[in-house]
Amino acid sequence: MAASATMTGVYVYGVVRADELPAVSADGVGDSAVELLERDGLAAIVSRLPGEFRVKRRDLNRHLQVLEEAFGETTVVPCAFGTVLASDADVETALLSERRPELESALSRLDGMVQLNVRAAYDQEALLHELVAGNTDVARLRDESIRLGDAGYHQRLRLGELVAGLLDGRRAEDAERIISAVSRLSEDVAVDDPGEYDALKASFLVKRKQLDRFDERLEKVARELQPVLRFEVIGPLPPTAFAGTAAAP
Amino acid sequence: MAIATRGTSSNYLQRAPSPSGLAEVLDVILDKGLVIDAYVRVSVIGIEVLTIDARIVIASVDTYLRFAEAVNRLDLAQTETAGIEELRDGGKSAKRKSEGALEGAKEKIPGMSSDKDKERSR
Repeated sequence: MAASATMTGVYVYGVVRADELPAVSADGVGDSAVELLERDGLAAIVSRLPGEFRVKRRDLNRHLQVLEEAFGETTVVPCAFGTVLASDADVETALLSERRPELESALSRLDGMVQLNVRAAYDQEALLHELVAGNTDVARLRDESIRLGDAGYHQRLRLGELVAGLLDGRRAEDAERIISAVSRLSEDVAVDDPGEYDALKASFLVKRKQLDRFDERLEKVARELQPVLRFEVIGPLPPTAFAGTAAAP
Repeated sequence: MAIATRGTSSNYLQRAPSPSGLAEVLDVILDKGLVIDAYVRVSVIGIEVLTIDARIVIASVDTYLRFAEAVNRLDLAQTETAGIEELRDGGKSAKRKSEGALEGAKEKIPGMSSDKDKERSR
């Protein structure tokens, strides 16, 4: 289960203000220690990687744990998993020095913010029941395809296509409803590709002090949309989905 | 950093302070974060990424047939959504989602999915 990627270099987890994070005690990727490389008030959270480095599943958790520890102390601009620079010098000059304005601006933008990952997933059976009950074509095609069995291939295809279309429409409605419900309580949203039976999979950037109200509002819409939809909320997380330095739309 | 009591989890909304399971961790850290012209980018090769593939919705004949099979498997005599009870026992939803996609893709003997067939594979 391990990938091999032979490299040597400096693995970067993220960037913080140097004086706000003295150290990180969590274990780093590749069982390396986690250190801080400073330049002009900014610090990159790094691990020096050995020559032979094979990515393991636990390295994914390590990366996140390092970010979470830093995030517990201060504002962090996270790097994507797997960012490796050639040397300390590269980190200090190419990253911290040359991109200082961007980094300062990102830190500023992310001060006091947390990320919540929200997934609204359909109860497959409950949803399909609703779609069958609400649509006579679906009910009819279902009966026909069951009756025809093996010979009902075209009916099944047509049925499936119809259901897929209805599901797309339903998904769009529900996603819109959820996002509008909480949009005034969040600063930004990044939408991911939902799964086949998901209405929404998104990350919300929320002011820490708005967290309770965001949660209340989300709970309210979840209560309205149950039992067909069930929600999972993960967080507060370091703002990995919002680390890009482009301005929010 | 956990938030002080935000309400207890209910059956329609579950909260977790951190991701659990590979899919959820990948959601947080894979391709999310500051982009640097890095010396080398580690790619997550070889680590099972089935649950990532399950996210990709591709409209296709296979998809339509899967939906049809799911609809045909419904027991319309149920007035309660007893399906929720079954699904709740299943554990992590990411895994459940990929299981759902896989179940539909399994070979089904045509004509076997009918009201008479009460067997549940879950």
